[in-house]
Amino acid sequence: MKVLKPLLRWELFLVVLLGVEMMVFGALNRRFLNLENLLYSSSDFAHIMLAALPLTLVIITGGIDISIAAVMGLASIVLGVTWQAGVDVYTALLLALLVGVVAGTLNGLLVANTDINPLVITLGTLFLFSGLATALAGSLGAAGYEGISGLPRVFTQLAHGAVGPVPYTLIFVIILVLIYSVLLHKTRFGRALYLIGANVQAARFSGVPVKSTIVGAYALSSLGGAMAGAMLTAYFTSARSDLGSDALLPTITAVVLGGASILGGSGTIIGAFVAVLILGYLKQGLLALGVTSDVSQVVIGLLLILVVVLRYWAADINQLRRNRRALQGRIEPEGGDLATRHAP
Amino acid sequence: MTKWLQQREVVVLALLVALIAVIGVINNSFLEPKSLLSMLNTSLILMLLATGEMFVILTRGIDVSVGAMMGLAAVVLGLALNAGMSLWLAIPLTLLVGLALGAINGVGVAVVRIPPIIMTLGALGVYRGAMLILTGGSWIETIPQSIKTLAGMKVFEVSVFAIATLLIILLTTFLLRRIRQARYFYYVGDNEDGAFMLGIPVRPTQTVAYALSGLFAGTAAVIFVGQIGFVPMQTGYGQELNAIAAGVLGGINLSGGVGTPISALIGALFLTVINSALVFLKVPAFWNNAIAGAILLIVVLIDFRVRVAVEARQRQQRAHVRHETSATIQPLLSPEEAS
Repeated sequence: MKVLKPLLRWELFLVVLLGVEMMVFGALNRRFLNLENLLYSSSDFAHIMLAALPLTLVIITGGIDISIAAVMGLASIVLGVTWQAGVDVYTALLLALLVGVVAGTLNGLLVANTDINPLVITLGTLFLFSGLATALAGSLGAAGYEGISGLPRVFTQLAHGAVGPVPYTLIFVIILVLIYSVLLHKTRFGRALYLIGANVQAARFSGVPVKSTIVGAYALSSLGGAMAGAMLTAYFTSARSDLGSDALLPTITAVVLGGASILGGSGTIIGAFVAVLILGYLKQGLLALGVTSDVSQVVIGLLLILVVVLRYWAADINQLRRNRRALQGRIEPEGGDLATRHAP
Repeated sequence: MTKWLQQREVVVLALLVALIAVIGVINNSFLEPKSLLSMLNTSLILMLLATGEMFVILTRGIDVSVGAMMGLAAVVLGLALNAGMSLWLAIPLTLLVGLALGAINGVGVAVVRIPPIIMTLGALGVYRGAMLILTGGSWIETIPQSIKTLAGMKVFEVSVFAIATLLIILLTTFLLRRIRQARYFYYVGDNEDGAFMLGIPVRPTQTVAYALSGLFAGTAAVIFVGQIGFVPMQTGYGQELNAIAAGVLGGINLSGGVGTPISALIGALFLTVINSALVFLKVPAFWNNAIAGAILLIVVLIDFRVRVAVEARQRQQRAHVRHETSATIQPLLSPEEAS
C-alpha cells in the first residue's frame, strides 16, 4: 500500500485526466494531436498560468486574491502609458511589474494586519485597481477599444516568439513552475504558507513570521497578475485597462481544480499547472470539434463541480475504509468517530 | 449585539446623507426630485441582488452566481414574452426559474457539501453558458410593450417597480425579525455546529438561503427587462461583485450571522450615488470604480478599528469586575443554581 500511495495522489489523477482528454480529442479529431499546434496554442492561456501559479500560494494560506484580474489591466496600462511617455519598453515592463508588487503588498498588509475577510479586502482593491487603470487610461485618452498600440516589436515578440516550436511564454512558465515549486516545497517560506493555512494560531505560537509570510504570498500573487497583464499586452500588441478582466474565474477554477483547498492548508504548484493545461486544451479541443465557447463554458463549470464532488467523496470513502480497518484492529484509529462509536 | 449592528447601518446611512448633501451643495440639480428618483430607479436591481446575496452571506456562504442567475432568468422572461405568454404568467415563471437555479446551488452546497465559492463559480459558468445556448448568442429584442408599460407606471411620480422593491425589502426585514425560522439564517451563520446541536435544521436552512438568492435574482431580472426593454448577453455580468460590495458596505459581515436587508438597501444606494455623483461633480466617469473601491476599503477598515477598540474596552471592564469579585470571594453560583 505504501508503494502505491504516491500514485494515488491528486496530481497524478490530473495528469491521467489530461492524457484521457488528449486521447479523446485526438480520436475525434485527427489534427488535434499535433505537437507543434498544441505548443503554439498554449499562448492562448499562458496568462492564466502566470496568474494561477502564485495564486495557489495565497489559497494555500486560506486566503483568496480576486484583485489579480484588475492588476492585469493596471499593469498593462502602466506599461503602455510609461512607454508612451518616452521610457524605454523594458524599463516600462519593470515598472509595470513593480506596480504589481506594490499592489500585492497593499493587499497583504491589509490582510495580515486586520481580521477582515480577504475576499472583502481584495474585492475593495479589485474595484480600486481597475478604477485606477480606467482612470489612468481615461485621463490620457486611451480608454477606447484600441488602447495604446504601436508597442515595439522587441516587446510584442516576447509573446509571439518561439524557440523552435516552443513559445517563449511556455518556457518562461515552466521556469516559473520550477521556481515556485522549490519555493513552496523546499523553503521555510513554503512550509510557513501551509502551516498558516492549516492553523494560523498554531503557526503564530510556533514562531512562524505570519505577517511577513502573508504579505509575501499576496505580493507574489499580484506580481503574477502583473506578469499576466504584460504578457497579454504583448500578445494583443496593445495596452488596455480592461485586459484580463475575464481571467479571474478561469484562474480560480484552475487553482481549485489543481488540488488547492479553498479552506487552506493544501495545494501544489504542479497541480495548478496541469489544471490550467486541462482547462485550456478542453476549451480548444471543444472549439476544434465545432462546439461553441458557450457550451464549453457549461462543460467547464460542470467539470469543476464534478471534480470537487469526486474529491470529497474519495476522501470520505478513504476515511470509511480507514475506520473499518481500525475497527478490525489492524491500524490505529485516525480522526473519524465511527471507530469510537463501535468500540466495546 | 443588535444595538451595535444598527449603529453600523446608521453610520453608513449618515455617510450617505452627508455625501448627498455635499454633492447637492456643489451642484443643486443633484437634489432635484427627478435626479434623486432616477438614482433610486437605477439602484433597484442592485438592491434586490444584494438582499438575495444577504441570505447566503448570513449563513456564512457566498454566491458568485447572482449575476448569471439574473441573466438567465431575464432570458427566460424575454423568450416567454416573445412567445406570446401573458405578462402575469411570465413573471411568476421568471421568479420560479430564479428560485430553481438558486435551489440547485443550495443542494450542491448543503447536501453534496461542495464549498460555496466552488459550487457557485461552477454554476456561474453553467448558467451563463445556458443563457447563450438558449438565445444562440443573439440579443433578445422586440419584447412586447406590456412589460415596458408596467415599468413606466408611476404612483406620485415614483415608479411602480421602486415601490414594489422597497415593499419587498421592508417585508423581508419585518419577516426576518418576526418569524422564528427566519432567525435560523443568523444562527447557522454565527455558529454552524452550535446551531446543529440545538436541533436547528442546518442543511435545509442553507438550501433555502441559496434558493432565496435565486428568487431575488429572478425578481431583479423582471425589473431589468422592464427598465431596459431588451436582453443583451452581458445582462448581469459582474453584478455578483457589485452585490457583495453593496452588502459589505451596508454592514453585512462576510463571516456570517450579521446583516439585514436594510444594509443591502443602503449599500446599493451608496454605490449608485457614487456613480451618479461624479457626473454632477463633473469628474470624468472613469473614476467610478476607484472611488467605490477606496470607500469600501475605508468603511471596512474603520469598522475593524472600532470593533477592536470596543472589544478592548469590554475586556478591560471584565478584568475589572473579576478583580472586584475575587476580592470579596463570592461564589459564582449558589448551590441550587449550580444544580
